[in-house]
Formats: sequence, C-alpha cells, structure tokens
Amino acid sequence: MAEKKRKKMIGSLQPNVDTMLEWNDLTAEDFAPATQGEKESFIPQRASISYWRDAWRRLRRNKVAMVALGVLVLLVLFAFVGPLIVPYGYEQFNQGAENLYPWHYSLEDQARLDEATGATGGTMEERVAAAIEQARAEAEAEGKKFTRADEAMIRAQVRSSGGTGAGAGSQEALAQAKRELGIHYQPFGYSIAELQRIEAGEKVFPHVFGTDNNGRDILARTMYATRVSMIIGVAAAAIVLVIGSLYGSVSGYCGGRVDAIMQRIVDVIYSLPEVLVILLLSAVIGPHITAFITDHPGALADFLRTVGPNLAAMFVCFAILYWVGMSRIIRGQVLTIKQQEYVTAARALGASGARIIRRHLLPNCIGQIVVTACLQIPSAIFLESFMSYLGVGVTQPLASLGSMCRDALAGLQTYPYRLIIPAVIICIMILSFNLFGDGLRDALDPRLKK
Amino acid sequence: MAKYIIKRVIMAILTILVVACVTFVLMRSVPGSPWNSEKAMTEQQIATLNERYGYDKPLPIQLLTYLKNALQGDLGVSLKMQKDRPVTEIITTMFPLSAKIGVVALVWAVLVGVPLGCLAAYNRGKWVDSLLRVVCTLGISMPGFVIANFLLIGLTGQDSLFGLKAIFDASQGAKAYFMPCVALGLYPMCYVARLTRSSMLDSINQEYIKTARAKGLKTGKIIFKHALRNALIPVITYLGPLVAFTLCGGFVVESVFSIPGLGRYFVQSISNRDYPIIMGTTIFLASFVVVMNLVVDILYRVVDPRIDLTKGGV
Repeated sequence: MAEKKRKKMIGSLQPNVDTMLEWNDLTAEDFAPATQGEKESFIPQRASISYWRDAWRRLRRNKVAMVALGVLVLLVLFAFVGPLIVPYGYEQFNQGAENLYPWHYSLEDQARLDEATGATGGTMEERVAAAIEQARAEAEAEGKKFTRADEAMIRAQVRSSGGTGAGAGSQEALAQAKRELGIHYQPFGYSIAELQRIEAGEKVFPHVFGTDNNGRDILARTMYATRVSMIIGVAAAAIVLVIGSLYGSVSGYCGGRVDAIMQRIVDVIYSLPEVLVILLLSAVIGPHITAFITDHPGALADFLRTVGPNLAAMFVCFAILYWVGMSRIIRGQVLTIKQQEYVTAARALGASGARIIRRHLLPNCIGQIVVTACLQIPSAIFLESFMSYLGVGVTQPLASLGSMCRDALAGLQTYPYRLIIPAVIICIMILSFNLFGDGLRDALDPRLKK
Repeated sequence: MAKYIIKRVIMAILTILVVACVTFVLMRSVPGSPWNSEKAMTEQQIATLNERYGYDKPLPIQLLTYLKNALQGDLGVSLKMQKDRPVTEIITTMFPLSAKIGVVALVWAVLVGVPLGCLAAYNRGKWVDSLLRVVCTLGISMPGFVIANFLLIGLTGQDSLFGLKAIFDASQGAKAYFMPCVALGLYPMCYVARLTRSSMLDSINQEYIKTARAKGLKTGKIIFKHALRNALIPVITYLGPLVAFTLCGGFVVESVFSIPGLGRYFVQSISNRDYPIIMGTTIFLASFVVVMNLVVDILYRVVDPRIDLTKGGV
C-alpha cells in the first residue's frame, strides 16, 4: 500500500484520502472496552483552571492592583475592626478634651511653656476671667458691643484649649517659647486632665488624631465615617449591579421595539447631569422620608432615621439614575452573546426568556458585570462625599468622610488636620478602588485592556 | 445628516420636557405648602397667597401654565431667598460668573491634558509615562472639594503666596480666578490626559503612521498632524459629559471659595428649600447640559466622517 500512496503537495489542502479509507477497516478488537490504563491516559495531567482562578492568577501578577487590594484590606480593617479597639464612640463627647491637636506636650513641658508665655498662669478660672477681660477691653476699644454670647465663646475657647492660650498673639508667643526652650511635640493628643491621670498611673487611650470642638475623638469618627462611605459605595454598586444588568440583559435579549423604547429611556437619563438631579431629588424626597418616619413607626422607619433622609434619597437616586452606564455595557455584551449557538440551542429546547437570561446570558458577561460594579464603588464614594460636603448627605450624628470635611471648615486655618485626615482617607480609598478596578478589568477581560 | 440632527434635536427637546415635567411634579409633591415658615399664617392668608401664585388651580393646569411660562423664559419667582424676584433674573445675573470659571477650567484642562496625554503615549513605558500615570490617577481620585481645600490650606495661610485670598474677590482680576479654575480643572485635565494617552496609543500603532515615518516626516509633525487628529475623537465625545461635570463641580468650588455664582446659590436654595429656585435652576442647567451634549454629538459626527450617520444615536 505504501507505494500506492498518492503524492501530496506540501501545503496542499487536499484531504488525505488514504487515511480516510483506512477508517473503515475496523476489526472486532477496536470495539473492545477500554482498559483502565487507557482510560487514565485520557484524564488530563493538569487540573483544569477555572475562569476565576485564571483571572486571580493574572490579577496576582499585577503589582499595582495587589498593592491597592492590600490598602483596601487595611482600610476595611480600619473601618470595621478599628472601632472595637478605640474606646471612644463616634458621638461621644469627651469633656475637658475639646479641640485637641494630634500632638501634646508633656506636663513638665506644658508648665515650662506656661511660665515662658507668662500671662496664662494660675488656675483655669483665673485664665478664663483674664481672657474675657482682655476681649472686653479690646471690644470696647474698637467700639463694639461685648455680648454674653461672646463671653461664652471665649470661655469655651480658653477651656478647650487646655490652658495653652487662645488667639493668634499667644500662638506666636507659644511658638517662640517652644523654640527657645527646645520643646518638641509628643505624638497623639492628650488633654491636661488626661495627662494628669496618666501621671497617676491610669491608662488612657490617646486621641491619635486629636479631637473636634465637641471633644469627639477624630480617630473614632474617621473610622466610622470610613465605614459609612464604604458601605455606601458597596451598596450603591449592588443596586447598580442588579438594576443595570437586569435592564441591560432584557433590553439586549428582547431587541426590536422593546429595545428601542428601553434605549430611548436610557438616553434621556444618560443625558441628565446626575449630581444636579440628585441634589434636586434629595431636596424633594427628603421631606417625604421625614414624613414617612414620623407617620409609620417600625423597623424601616428606624433604619431610615439612622441613615437620615438625605442618604435614603441618595440611594433612591442611585436606583433611578446610576444604572444606565451598566445597562449599556451589559446590553452590548448580550447583543453579541445571544447570537451564539448555545443560546439558539437553549431556545430550541424550549427554555423561557427568563431562563436564557439567567442561565446563559448573564453568566457569560460576569466579567464585565464584576468590573463595572467594582469601578462603580469609587464613583459612588466620590459622589457621596461630594453631597455630604455640600450638606445634603449623611445627617448628624452619623458621619461620613465628606461631612467630616464639611465640619472641619469652621476652624480650617487653626485646625487644618481635621480636614486633611478625612480628605486623605477619601483620596486613598478612591485611588485604591480605581487601581484595583483597573487591575480587575485587565485580569477578567484582557480584550478591554487600554 | 439632516435626519440624524432632527432626530437628536427631538430627543433633546423630549429630555428637557421630561425634566421640566418631573421637576414640576416633584416640586408639588413636597409635603407641606411653601408657606410653612417661621410665622404661622391664617387660613385666609394662605388662600390669598395660593390664589396669587396660582396654586389653587388643578395640578395639570398648573403644569401647563408653568411650561408655557417656562417657554417664554419665566420660571416663576423666588419664595424665600429673594422674595418675589424672578428666577430667570437670578439665573441671568449669577450664571455668567459660573460660566466664566467653568470655561476657563475646561480650556486649561483640554489645553494641558491633551499634550500631556501625547507626551505619555509617545514615551510609553518610560519614566515620563509612569509619572504621568501616577499623577493622573491621583488626580481623578481626588474629589473637587479636597483639591479646593488643599489649595486653600496650602496657598492662603498666614503668609499668603502671591496675595491669593481664600474668599473670592472679583476686584483682584485674574488672580481671583486662579485657585477656583485650578481646582475645577484638575479632574478633567487628568481624565483628558488619560483618554488622550490611550487613544494616542491606538493611533500611533496604525499603518499610516508607519507610512508617515517612512516618508521621513518629523516626529512633531507625525504626532500632531497625523496621530493626534484621530486620537482627539474620543476626547471630543468626552466634552459633553465634561461640561456637565464642570457645572456640577462648580457647586463645590463656588462653595469653597465663596464665589457668588449660580452653583453656590443652587446649593443654598436647596438647604433653604426655596422650590421655585431649585426647579428653575435644575431646568436651566439640565437644558444647558442637554444642549451641550447635542452640540458635541453633532460636532463629533462632523469631525469624523467615518461614522455612519444613517444608523443614528446609539
């Protein structure tokens, strides 16, 4: 047979007829059951790698994304485990520890400073009285009225500053005295009373980031605020995920007139500036929710009271507006997937539309869904901080990072750290979510890589 | 082309109409009447007020009247903040300042962002690229109020640099606009730079660039005349959302720097619950954004003849 083999040109596409003819020459042995050894040789040597494991492997190689993930884990620990460690509550007023800086002087240094700056000797009451006298004299010299409100303000100022002296003049004197005496800051904030308690052998947890003008510990507040911001980001992404993927897949799967109408609705929503609409809605929905809370007591009302009407309005807005981007992406994906044979096969077998969407279409655009949802988190956090900063976000006593920045504005020049700390945390959080989302996109869908 | 434009214009008008109707219905659905203020009023007074502002008629008629008036440029009058002053007048006095800051911010964002993107794309993988990528990712991760406040803390301390003031003072001229415009333009600038970089990378790898190089054209000419032209198309599409972003970002920047613009006034009207102002401003700004989107979309088709016009919108 060998010499009869037809000559075949190299690279010819002509099928090899001889081997095809041989397919028919089957003997009885060819129909014997396979032996154990033969069966085993069919089992692949390497365990098959699932979609997720493959993606994880690619993600792990992306250093930037892994660092971002590490930072995110740290932030989650900070927000959810941190409050268990810090003994102060986010709305706990620590009396006598108002307006602390995130640093302090030791008791001896404080005494030396007081001596050097001179004027602020004596007990607290004497200092308060002196400060009020001084302010009254100043006010009278300028021809202004010195009201009781002013007096109360100065009293609070002097007390809260722990006797280090208030006012710009004494600040300069303080700085000079510090330089002359060679006194340095000690890390973390303690009030004088707390320092005395430490002296007495008590253990006092420091105010690591200082306190605000009500004596609330900024570290504890930042932790709770980070928690609020994170929950909002993830919840918003979840809302967007559910609505966007459902709407997008239905629109893409149904096609035709249904698709056209659904897409016109998306177009209308898409061309609206979201922030504007959210501001509007929070102005309008807010009173409704407040009315609901007072009229309908119950678990839902309690929940709404905790989050506050503004925040509830914000969630409504996410549900109304933010899903359009997601739905467009899912629709585009579904449009290509629904042409595939397995979808036709499913339809031929009589599967309903809902089943095809649930079992065949959505699982096949899971990568896109995850990536879009992940990139939605930072934009939701961004938006929430923006709204809270404008005063239409979370309501007191709940704090978010944006509302902490807003609260810090009152004493911006004197206590800039109150703004810097939450602001930096927002930036780090959004940055890590962005970087991680980018990495996830590269890992889950390399085609999308920009 | 004409068919496309007509279709888009109809969509835009529809959108604005939807916004107007929705805002109107929302305004009316707020619990309590607009007259709920500090002073308690008698039934008689409320009835008089309702009649005066036309609130006693049925809702659909009120809506039609409102729409008719809105078409003629009458968006009602302020109820609280500047009592009885027409909303249209408030908008026309306050919007120019906001627009000025927005336009300056946009212009510098595009003028700086595009070259930076080109630079990064051309030096792909080198340190310039990495540096720009870090800076731009950081830039799009900072909310506007953070940038604005950091500028405020950094530049206007006790020894204020270059005489920059924390509170906006129009008499200072260009100096007064410096910080607001920087704060407003930083995010768009970084975004534009990232966008330009990625689309530049696409177009640099095209065949016609190789041809141009083979012909011996200078690098500058290749980049700016051949590659950039095509790379700019995504940037142009982004201009529409960018206008919306700058408008809304303006709310924060105006609040931070105490600029008496429309954005700050809008935010104030929300906390004051002065509904006619909220609604009027929303309709105005939304229409503005919708029209800008329309213009950008049409422009985009004009700039890139490859795009199929017959297929339309989506």
